[in-house]
Amino acid sequence: MKILVLVKNVPEVAEAELEIDQGALDLEDLEMVVNEWDNYAVEEAVRITEASGGEVHLLTLGSEDDEDVLRRGLAMGAHAASHLCDEAFEGSDPATLAKVFAAAVKGGGYDLILTGVQSADLGQASTGVLLAQELGLPHATMAIALEPGAGEVVVTRELENNTSEKVALPLPAVVTVQSGINQPRYVSIMGIRKVRKMTIEQIEAADLGLAEESLGAAASMVDSQSLALPPMGQGAQMLQGGLDSVCDQAAAILREKGGLA
Amino acid sequence: MNPLRTPFWGVEWAWLFYLLAALALAALALGLWEKISLWTQGRRAAPVASHKHPLGAILADVFLGRRIWRGGVTAGLMHLMLLWGFLGLFLGTCAVAVDHYLISFLQGRLYLWFSAGLEVCGLLLVLGLLLALTRRWLLPVPRLERRPDDTLLPLWLLAVACGGFMVEAARLAATRPPWEAWSFVGYGLSGFFPSAQAARDLFPWLWWSHAIISLGFIAWLPWSKLAHAFAAPASLYLQGQPLAVLAVAAEEGELAALGLRHLLHLDACTRCGRCVEVCPAAQAGEPFSPRDLLRRARRQARLKYSPLYRLPWLRDRRQALLERDRTADWEAAWYCTTCRACLEVCPVQAAPIEMIRKLRAGLVEQGSAVPPQLMDTLEKLHRYGNPWVAKKGAKAGWAQGRDIPDLSKSGPEVDWLYFVGCTTAIDTRAQNMARALSDVFTHCGVSFGTLGKKEPCCGDIARRLGEQGLMEEQIEATQALLNQRDLTRIICTSPHCLDTIKKVHPLFLEEGLPLQVLHYSQMLHRLWQQGRLIFDHPLPLKVTYHDPCFLARHNRLVDEPRQLLRAIPGLELVEMADHGLNSLCCGGGGGRMWHEIPGQANLAVRRLEQAAATGAELVVTACPLCLIMLEDARKTGGFEDKFAIIDLSELAARALGLAATDREAEANV
Amino acid sequence: MSGVLVIAEHRQGVLREATLECLGAALALGGQVTTLLLADDPEAMAGELTGRTHGLKLYAHPDLAAFNPELYLPVVIDAVKALQPSLVLMPHSSQGMDLAPALAGRLGLPLVTDCTGLSWNDRSFAVQRTVYGGKAMQELTLKPAATVVATLQAGACQAPEVGAAETASESTTLTELAPRHARRFLEYLAGVVEDVDIAEADILVSVGRGIGGPDNIPQAQALADALGATLSCSRPVADAGWLPKSRQVGTSGKTVRPKIYLALGISGAFQHQAGMKNSGTIIAVNSDSRAPIFQVAHYGIVADLFEVLPKLAERFGG
Repeated sequence: MKILVLVKNVPEVAEAELEIDQGALDLEDLEMVVNEWDNYAVEEAVRITEASGGEVHLLTLGSEDDEDVLRRGLAMGAHAASHLCDEAFEGSDPATLAKVFAAAVKGGGYDLILTGVQSADLGQASTGVLLAQELGLPHATMAIALEPGAGEVVVTRELENNTSEKVALPLPAVVTVQSGINQPRYVSIMGIRKVRKMTIEQIEAADLGLAEESLGAAASMVDSQSLALPPMGQGAQMLQGGLDSVCDQAAAILREKGGLA
Repeated sequence: MNPLRTPFWGVEWAWLFYLLAALALAALALGLWEKISLWTQGRRAAPVASHKHPLGAILADVFLGRRIWRGGVTAGLMHLMLLWGFLGLFLGTCAVAVDHYLISFLQGRLYLWFSAGLEVCGLLLVLGLLLALTRRWLLPVPRLERRPDDTLLPLWLLAVACGGFMVEAARLAATRPPWEAWSFVGYGLSGFFPSAQAARDLFPWLWWSHAIISLGFIAWLPWSKLAHAFAAPASLYLQGQPLAVLAVAAEEGELAALGLRHLLHLDACTRCGRCVEVCPAAQAGEPFSPRDLLRRARRQARLKYSPLYRLPWLRDRRQALLERDRTADWEAAWYCTTCRACLEVCPVQAAPIEMIRKLRAGLVEQGSAVPPQLMDTLEKLHRYGNPWVAKKGAKAGWAQGRDIPDLSKSGPEVDWLYFVGCTTAIDTRAQNMARALSDVFTHCGVSFGTLGKKEPCCGDIARRLGEQGLMEEQIEATQALLNQRDLTRIICTSPHCLDTIKKVHPLFLEEGLPLQVLHYSQMLHRLWQQGRLIFDHPLPLKVTYHDPCFLARHNRLVDEPRQLLRAIPGLELVEMADHGLNSLCCGGGGGRMWHEIPGQANLAVRRLEQAAATGAELVVTACPLCLIMLEDARKTGGFEDKFAIIDLSELAARALGLAATDREAEANV
Repeated sequence: MSGVLVIAEHRQGVLREATLECLGAALALGGQVTTLLLADDPEAMAGELTGRTHGLKLYAHPDLAAFNPELYLPVVIDAVKALQPSLVLMPHSSQGMDLAPALAGRLGLPLVTDCTGLSWNDRSFAVQRTVYGGKAMQELTLKPAATVVATLQAGACQAPEVGAAETASESTTLTELAPRHARRFLEYLAGVVEDVDIAEADILVSVGRGIGGPDNIPQAQALADALGATLSCSRPVADAGWLPKSRQVGTSGKTVRPKIYLALGISGAFQHQAGMKNSGTIIAVNSDSRAPIFQVAHYGIVADLFEVLPKLAERFGG
């Protein structure tokens, strides 16, 4: 089975304190890591090929440094990687990116295209499905299990309220992968070193035959955008005082609002 | 009549004996060949140096079983009897062969003393075997296993020894040579034969059965656990060999591939179980046994490297066994705290601790068997230089409000680099150690600085978890910084940092820049000896000292902290049951601090139970991981009323009367 | 702004609350609101929508019992072409994520997802979204476009009152569906049924990643016992297996509305908030003063949860 996985390098923000500078995120103190959902997708793809043969190819769009995310995937067991790197791509919205990816992917002969449900940065959860439309392929999102078979894949989709559903998709298809679908393997430094010599295909806008006006901010649906930090503690009345005092106050609230003795 | 030995007396068909002997020797040779070819397949990361341990000590270990005596008088006695009994008989047999085939020298008086000597050896062997069986079956000693071959082996050898006496007895009864009393055991037994004729008739039966059993034993020797007779001396000779340079780039194959030393260690193991007895994880009831780990490693080594297992009909069995072991190893791999208690007591220095490192290196490389929490920890180490928080610049927070020179930037020269360490710099409880130490150093006029935000991780955690690539990266980063700033004199808070910087960093230095690395207790001890550290605030407290594994066992620093404690006026030091080199691990090492194993608190709780038994009011330790583990166990184990936990640095600060403004944790003491 | 088209969502014969929230947002924008409901028996659910939308178009076909974007798309596309709404709106849910980008892709329409706020500023839409796991907010102004597709974050808006609009309804029984691809719905899988239903509890003590590991769960359980509460958790705890999935609060777990929700060491990523934000009183304990949970909590304590846990427990005899 030939599987393509789209991966993205995103800033790791879980424990960091974000700094916003003029409406944009200050990346200086942040480390770039593979998007958690995409990592699950790579692991799933590698497992499928380990079990029943085939190849996993990786694709990312980003700056030169973002090549790290491809090396990591190769160290996990992927077989080849391509890097879409061009200034012209900057500022593109998901629809444009889908077109770029489609142009890069066409003719690749992939049976299955996987990517994460969303990315940890802007979390738009669109690129995978938009790509499916560009390629004219069936799709399914929120996969928590994949069972590839002959000519089709059965996808278990996560729904709300602790339920899920199973759907069957004819191949080739695009599936977006939800976190928790598997336990991704550890990638050791040694592992990354071993794949350092592998060539990564570099793709520029010109290689795809896409006109410059159809890329970047010019083609984006967004007129303007800015980021802001949420106001601190808005909504919550922060209890003040030493530990004991605060616990007393909390206990009083629990008693009053909870109907406890 | 000249006393001499008559070979093949009373038997015919000597040729049959030679045939059987040839077969037995062939089996012995095959077994030895298999073992040796297995051992020599071990990769040699570093050339094996001549012995690093004093030769006298090595010889005492090999021939007197010195390390076995440490485990108990009966054990030592038993082994000594077995060893010398068997060795004596073996040498005797060799002498007989020489006498028979080369030059006849066993005559006259020499022969008589020779006979008597062999009797003594035979007796030693028999008594030793009886003692062994008693210890294993009747007492029984808990750490000894009762597998089929554990019983079969001594019984077989007993049959050999007793058979030998019986043969002798029959011969003496039949021939009644005048010097028979010299062979006093046989002489005594010969009385049981009803007549000389009966003895003569019985003799061939006895002789052949003894011959077959003995030859069978010889054939079985290298295939059984008695192969340790060959491997253990080599293992003991090689103890204390320098650490191999672990350059990742050079290791093309598996990082988990074993070296010559490791393979010898595996066969040196006698399955005595003393490692299990002292292993904190095993004793806390966790599903881990260092002996079983070695057993699997031994089996795996055999399955992988033994030439015999290349035979097709053994190969399939090999696969199935490899699979079964692999699963067991995946689960067991992460329990070890690398406390080194096993190596401390192992009579043959077989070192399960080394196997763990190899095992983990293999699992890390493969990737799927690394527990998610450890993955997370390793990733944080890689990206943020610490295992605690996914945030940069987290290591400078403890020093807020203090004016400590930042040695990562150019500035005035200082004498010492105070290497704070990841845990001490970030964990809220352990940060107090850094504050206390910086106060003490300042008070004593020590000129020091830290690396502030830029302090890298020393590489110890990656080392213990088997992530060699990461360890190397961290060591290179640390050394680059130290080199750049010309820092060669280092004081560490953590015994873990001490161990890695002192022992492993030099292996990666290009020019042998001599690093002087001290644990803070050594520094304080030095200051105290120089009279620059005077404890003038009495602390009338009863305390007990918990030796951190990495200070006591890994670095043999047992006295300095105690001398410091005794120097504090009013302090009464009492010792826990397992102290000094036998200290009981708190459970924080080997990466376990960052790994949630269900029931893990038990290790530290067991230690605190020992502390509670001393009646001490304070438990003092000298390692940030111990501090955290014991503090947690104090709460979960319900020891809050009994005692408090404090670090040596904090205690020192108090004994110097240094104000504890931002060192609130001490206020709880 | 020429109208909003809302795509209704239902599961196993029950209309999802999220659809009503979309109606609330749609009506607030002004203009004509039309709702599409595709189901095997849309009439049964139509009642909940009546009085809350201007236009209501019901489409019936047995194959529409379960959601399938391939079956929905041709109908929705026809409706978009016919009505030319300025906005096509649906919930940001497992259905919305499957449907909205597909619709936007096929028609080449701009798409904004997971919106917390939508407003019309004369020529185009302005959108608010949460990003970076809830740690930051994004403000977008879109370029003018004939139609925009958007998905709405659950709980971002309130359901409108019945009577907010006068509804004109029309029903169509579809005879054939024309899917582009042969995606088939197979079956639903119910989650593992557990001993405790956290949705029934009056008081929930909920633990997040901050609890550190399975060994610390008993401490939290002790507090829960002292309070007569039930223990629940956020996604990372369930993913790691420290508590069973049935205890998970959030979009992919359960939605709860206890009298008291005590959040310990939970950062409060949106998916979790969605599952508990309507609780009576929310008290959050987190060592990070900027944790998003404090935006939805009523009371906040910035402290180490391991210091608070025992102290709270002892105040209730634990």
